[in-house]
Amino acid sequence: MNRASIVQVFFPALRSKIINCGLNSIFSKQSVIPNYLGLRNTSFFNKLPAEDIWRGVTAVSNAGKKRGRGKGSGKKVAKDLNKGQTIGYGKNNRIWPGLNSPIMRGNELIYQQKLDENLDRETGILKLRDTMGNFRLIKLNPIDRGWSGSKMPGRSIGQPDTVGEEEFTSFDTRVLENKIVFIMKGNMGRKRRYSVLSVTGNGKGLAGFATAKAPEARTALRKSKNRAGQKLINVSLCENRTIYHDFSTDFGKTKIYCFQKPHGYGLVCHRAIQTICKVIGIKDLYAKIEGSTNLQHIVKAFFIGLMTQRSYQNIANETNFNIVQKQNTRNRLTEVKGIPFLNSTQAQSNQEVDYMHFTLGNKIVLKKNGVLPFYVNSKGHDLRRIKSERFRNQPKVRLHKLINSYA
Amino acid sequence: MHLLRTLRQLNGLQGVRQAIRQVSSAPTKPATLQYERDPQPLFTDAETQRLLQSMTQLNLDKVYRHRTVADNSSETKFMTNEQLDNEFQDMVVRAKHMLQMPPIVEIKKDVERVIAKDPALKDFDTTKYVFTDITFGRRQSERKVFVRETDGTLAHATLDTTKRMNQLYFPLEGRQSYTPRMFALEELLSKCLAEHKYEFILDRLLVQYEPHEPEFHNISARVFEHLNESKQFELLRSTRHFGPMAFFYAWHRCIDDLLYDMIRRDYLHNAVELIALSYKVHKIPVEYQATLTELEKLHQTPAERALAELRSVFRRPDEKQSIEQEIHSAIGKTEPDFAADEISLKFIEQYIASEHSLKKVQLELAVQTLKEVNREKLLLFQGLKKAHGVQAS
Repeated sequence: MNRASIVQVFFPALRSKIINCGLNSIFSKQSVIPNYLGLRNTSFFNKLPAEDIWRGVTAVSNAGKKRGRGKGSGKKVAKDLNKGQTIGYGKNNRIWPGLNSPIMRGNELIYQQKLDENLDRETGILKLRDTMGNFRLIKLNPIDRGWSGSKMPGRSIGQPDTVGEEEFTSFDTRVLENKIVFIMKGNMGRKRRYSVLSVTGNGKGLAGFATAKAPEARTALRKSKNRAGQKLINVSLCENRTIYHDFSTDFGKTKIYCFQKPHGYGLVCHRAIQTICKVIGIKDLYAKIEGSTNLQHIVKAFFIGLMTQRSYQNIANETNFNIVQKQNTRNRLTEVKGIPFLNSTQAQSNQEVDYMHFTLGNKIVLKKNGVLPFYVNSKGHDLRRIKSERFRNQPKVRLHKLINSYA
Repeated sequence: MHLLRTLRQLNGLQGVRQAIRQVSSAPTKPATLQYERDPQPLFTDAETQRLLQSMTQLNLDKVYRHRTVADNSSETKFMTNEQLDNEFQDMVVRAKHMLQMPPIVEIKKDVERVIAKDPALKDFDTTKYVFTDITFGRRQSERKVFVRETDGTLAHATLDTTKRMNQLYFPLEGRQSYTPRMFALEELLSKCLAEHKYEFILDRLLVQYEPHEPEFHNISARVFEHLNESKQFELLRSTRHFGPMAFFYAWHRCIDDLLYDMIRRDYLHNAVELIALSYKVHKIPVEYQATLTELEKLHQTPAERALAELRSVFRRPDEKQSIEQEIHSAIGKTEPDFAADEISLKFIEQYIASEHSLKKVQLELAVQTLKEVNREKLLLFQGLKKAHGVQAS
């Protein structure tokens, strides 16, 4: 392309020189203004190669680069203007035998011939050029999306690769953290790598997590996935859906309070804990984080908490108390969950022990009262409540009327 | 509300309305069997109640079964042995309370009770006035409601009006001021019956109607009749409706299907109680008291049995069960059980032989089968005892 453009640039330049020479000689003899406009068929458009011209538009100055300009969504990208153009087809719609059509058709020789103008071609090329250069979001199926858009955290990256004969069928791996980290090297300076934290599990209580770093995002993802598959931990699930008891756990400055919840409650917790629970198979849980929400610490604290869970029987043996559960769905029927091994042989202490305090390690979670809206104590609000009081049953009545009027 | 409004507009077609009117014009069918005289004295009799309670049985798992509630959370607690035992006792008491049977009483007839006739007040208004005593804490039955008709008559309100006024001022949760569709439309009720939702119908019936209302009698009779045909008696066992059902069959001389079911499930003492109840209801001169007292000695009441089952958790796991208990758990019967079975079978056979039983062949067959099974069990029981060297007590 360069050579072609140089040739193009060369000839017009030469011609303008010749014309300029002529003009000069005319001016010197007669001072008559010629009745034609000056033609300047040269400009940097036909003097410079495409690459240089494009650089003029897209490049950022050195100083700008240092400030971080020319990055992100507003970045300009060079367009390939040759796209959509083919030799032989142009503005002038013609048959060129040997170029865009065969020379002979049967026994007949084909001649050069002008065809009707093709208007679609021009608009098509313009459209193609418009689509180029703009930043486009990667379209993801809503099911495959992670926590946020097309970002990796929260997204599934499949099961860990098979090791020998160990297959990880029914496993699912989810990315928890994907970030760029730097280290300084003696000979290479600031070296950047991708660090990926992911968690894998089979949804039945077997799960593992691992962090891996690699210069490429894809390799880091693969490495962390496979490493997580090698570090599996067995978590016993209560009724195949929740944790055995409330517990508190911490790692560094991160403290997590986890609560056992009834069927159908769902996962009400930090998104990382949610993802871990889904992978492990925990379906009902409430967790509250106090302190730092450093992701690596959350993951570690939560796994430590899960591993330190005790069965009802163990707690009963330890405390020498019977453990009973009263379910509201069964009209508060007392179900015995654990009976101490040394039952009734030792004197049980008279002091009341609260089960939740025991399992939370004598910690009490701070329960804040919700903040009421500003208008609660205002006169207008009181008036409104008084006025609307007599209509408080209206929606219900309407609904019942509706139910009764239709089959 | 906006959504509802749109729905109404969408569906509010005249044709649909008319079709609905046609459907709802079909009232529920009347039941064939009705109490011809007042069953209340017989039903509330202490002995009858005891028989019915024993027949109902008390299966704690059934009484405290999973139900849909607004808050399905659970509470876990530490308990000492004493606390746990108290809890068990409390559970049985609560279960007994939940199994309390709805009374069977006569249909109350509306009686016109005029207080005063004041022709001077004629046409005082275009509508009649209803006066309700809304004193707090008064029972529904003793709440006074009066009506002043437009012709000037002041009278006690009809039962219907009284119920309506009660519901208006002191609404009962779950009771509606209009007839629920499932009781108003024959097709809906028969659909419920076909799906064997007997307990659901009876529970709803109890909430909606008072036991002295004709609708209560009619629909409950229909449920019991249907149940007698489908023979799904197990669905009502350990619920508060089993007693009224058994009483209904005993009253209307159709206990044979229920009896067959009891024999087949090896509830022989219940079968004896049912026969005794029918003798009692119809004043048939057969001596049943002696058999019942004998059986009572050998059997625990349902509540005692449930409590014993609950208390079995206190048995230490490492403690060796006595061999007798092991044999009991293997066979499911003990010596007193076999003795009781013998007494019951004698009584039942006597009933089958009499002219009161209607399905003799079927019942005889069932008794024979049970006897054979029992004989095998007894042989096994004695063999095991001999093998373990346990002395017959």
